[in-house]
Amino acid sequence: MSKNSAGSRIPAGSKVSVRGLRKSFGSNEVLKGLDVEISEGEVVCVIGPSGSGKSTFLRCLNKLDELSAGTVIVDGFNLSDKTVDLNEVRQHIGMVFQHFNLFPHMTVLQNIMLAPVELKKQSTATARASALKLLDRVGLAEKADARPAQLSGGQKQRVAIARSLAVNPDIMLFDEATSALDPEMVGEVLQVIRDLAAEGMTMVVVTHEMGFAREVADRVIFMADGVIVEEGTPAELFGNPQQERTQDFLSKVL
Amino acid sequence: MNMSRAGKLSVAVTALLALAGGFVGVSAATASQPNSHVQPQTAVTGETYVIGTDTTFAPFEYRKDGELTGIDMDLIRDIAANQGFNVEIKSLGFDAALQALQSNQVDGVIAGMSITDERKLVFDFSDPYFDSGVQMAVADTNTEITGYADLAGETVVAKRGSEGETFANSIKDEYGFTVKALADSATMYDDVKAGNSVAVFDDYPVLAYGINQNNGLKSVTEKEQGSSYGFAVNKGQNPELLAAFNTGLAELKSNGDYQSILDKYLEQPAPVAASGFFGLLSDSLPALMKGLGLTLLATGLSILVALVLGVLFGFCKVSESRVLRGLASIYVSIFRGTPLLVQAFFFYFGLPQLTGQPIDVLTAGVLTLSLNAGAYMTEIVRGGIQSVDPGQTEAGRSLGLGYVTTMRRVVLPQAVKIMTPSFINQFVMTLKDTSLLAVIGFAELTYQGQQIYAANFRTGETLLIVAALYFIVINLLTMLSNQLDKRFNK
Repeated sequence: MSKNSAGSRIPAGSKVSVRGLRKSFGSNEVLKGLDVEISEGEVVCVIGPSGSGKSTFLRCLNKLDELSAGTVIVDGFNLSDKTVDLNEVRQHIGMVFQHFNLFPHMTVLQNIMLAPVELKKQSTATARASALKLLDRVGLAEKADARPAQLSGGQKQRVAIARSLAVNPDIMLFDEATSALDPEMVGEVLQVIRDLAAEGMTMVVVTHEMGFAREVADRVIFMADGVIVEEGTPAELFGNPQQERTQDFLSKVL
Repeated sequence: MNMSRAGKLSVAVTALLALAGGFVGVSAATASQPNSHVQPQTAVTGETYVIGTDTTFAPFEYRKDGELTGIDMDLIRDIAANQGFNVEIKSLGFDAALQALQSNQVDGVIAGMSITDERKLVFDFSDPYFDSGVQMAVADTNTEITGYADLAGETVVAKRGSEGETFANSIKDEYGFTVKALADSATMYDDVKAGNSVAVFDDYPVLAYGINQNNGLKSVTEKEQGSSYGFAVNKGQNPELLAAFNTGLAELKSNGDYQSILDKYLEQPAPVAASGFFGLLSDSLPALMKGLGLTLLATGLSILVALVLGVLFGFCKVSESRVLRGLASIYVSIFRGTPLLVQAFFFYFGLPQLTGQPIDVLTAGVLTLSLNAGAYMTEIVRGGIQSVDPGQTEAGRSLGLGYVTTMRRVVLPQAVKIMTPSFINQFVMTLKDTSLLAVIGFAELTYQGQQIYAANFRTGETLLIVAALYFIVINLLTMLSNQLDKRFNK
């Protein structure tokens, strides 16, 4: 690994290493001790009922939420270390939100160019060229000068994905990326994620799309009540769930 | 006269001073140094004294064509010329002038002020220069009231805290009428003309002058024996000025100048016909436009400072530091939690007494308005920032942008758009709030209007013109702001 400017970079086999992660909001403990290892190029889908802590888990991986206890090492950065430069860390971790969170006062192109220009001191011309390339990749080259308000939900989410790819992340986090979409738009967004997986991107995908998880995931994690109840390959987890709660959940959603 | 009210006020202010203790005493004493004199007692020659007076107490002081005129004004100017010193007149209002004198903002006060024992405790008075007295007047169409005996069961009006009120109260039981108190002569005369009261008790020179200006009243009794008016300096301050006034007054009396001044204002000239509305408009417009200019100046300066304060404290309010948040909250609660009028009085009268540094009325006014508006701006900025979806900050931060960059590029552009209508609203509020500065003698639009109707007694028409000017300016500025908003906040 060459990116070692942020002090406590730890060379490790795992891309993501989570040990004993706990997270409380006030007196409400949402994560009750998680242990997860994710290796490079792996696609992990996290499923589970709402309130199980899936999103909080994801937000702990780029420290949008503070950790209450445990260690999280992502891409060699120890997030439990207070001195770690979060801005540096987050450039290695892309995140896609349920509600897109595009910047409404900028055009599509400006949304994508903002971080590269602000962070990497790319010239505007270079940033523009790579932004256009990214837009082309998500099939929205013709929307470069549109405002987010002029896009459909599916288009917005594809722009959001392009935006987070613009800083060349090593890991992508998807937080229920298709939950806010009309059903007919889910497919186009999943296709983009599928393409990313095919290119070997390490990804953690919190999703309600069981079909997608079964198809794309290398591993599926089932969470409930702040703990990992069961994990395994899609075939194992969907075909032969061991835990009663997993069976229960799957019988309701499949 | 407007007197005993100010007597009480003086006592209160003196008590405040006493509470503030030695510090104030020392600093107040040094405060008059810039105006005072290398060799006290001897030379007033060439010195410039700041003299406070009432805004309008015709015929003693009032404005004619924008210039301060009247018996007091002629007298103090002629005495100054006679004794070789200069005067700078500050038209502050009666209470305000007395407070200014106590805080050494002015060197002397001439404002048709009765010499009373109460006042002698805090001021040094000159020899009396005028003998006043209370007189009763009724509407000129009223033929039923010809004396006190006709007042049974009726309501009369008198100026709050004045000798007229004292006199009316002293005979109300005997004649069986009720006394209502109002703040100034013009309002009292309107009250009588409107029929809300049947008669007014006011100082005879004031009444005589008003009747002469076609105020719609007539006097029906002889004047009662009244008190004497004197020129005042702060207790123990400026003795040479007081001496020069007395010498000058004596000389004016002996050379006939004194009598011709009285005749000029109190002799019964032929009543002048009132000009029409447009006459009033063209007569009053120059003074009103001058006032409007000051209104806009005070508004502009205040809004600029308030904007800086609002952004500064607004960011404090959304910051993660508890200390900064607390600081901003204290600021906001102080200035939102006290009336603007009290703040204006405090900055103009209170602050100089605490610091010993005189403060000019524009500075005090802008200080008041900007600190006040700044508190509201703080809340506007805080509200604007907080109303931006937190997901926007999360998106910015998750891209690796720092707090400042995220604020600058993502949150603020959206927040400013949200804040703009509130900013425009605050701007309009502040413009209107400048009218409150009239009470500390800031010569803005409302003040100019008061000056005009106090002299010509055409309250309704004058206020209509003043209101129309505010209306036009505010709506023009609102339209302009909305245009700018549309252009820059698409």
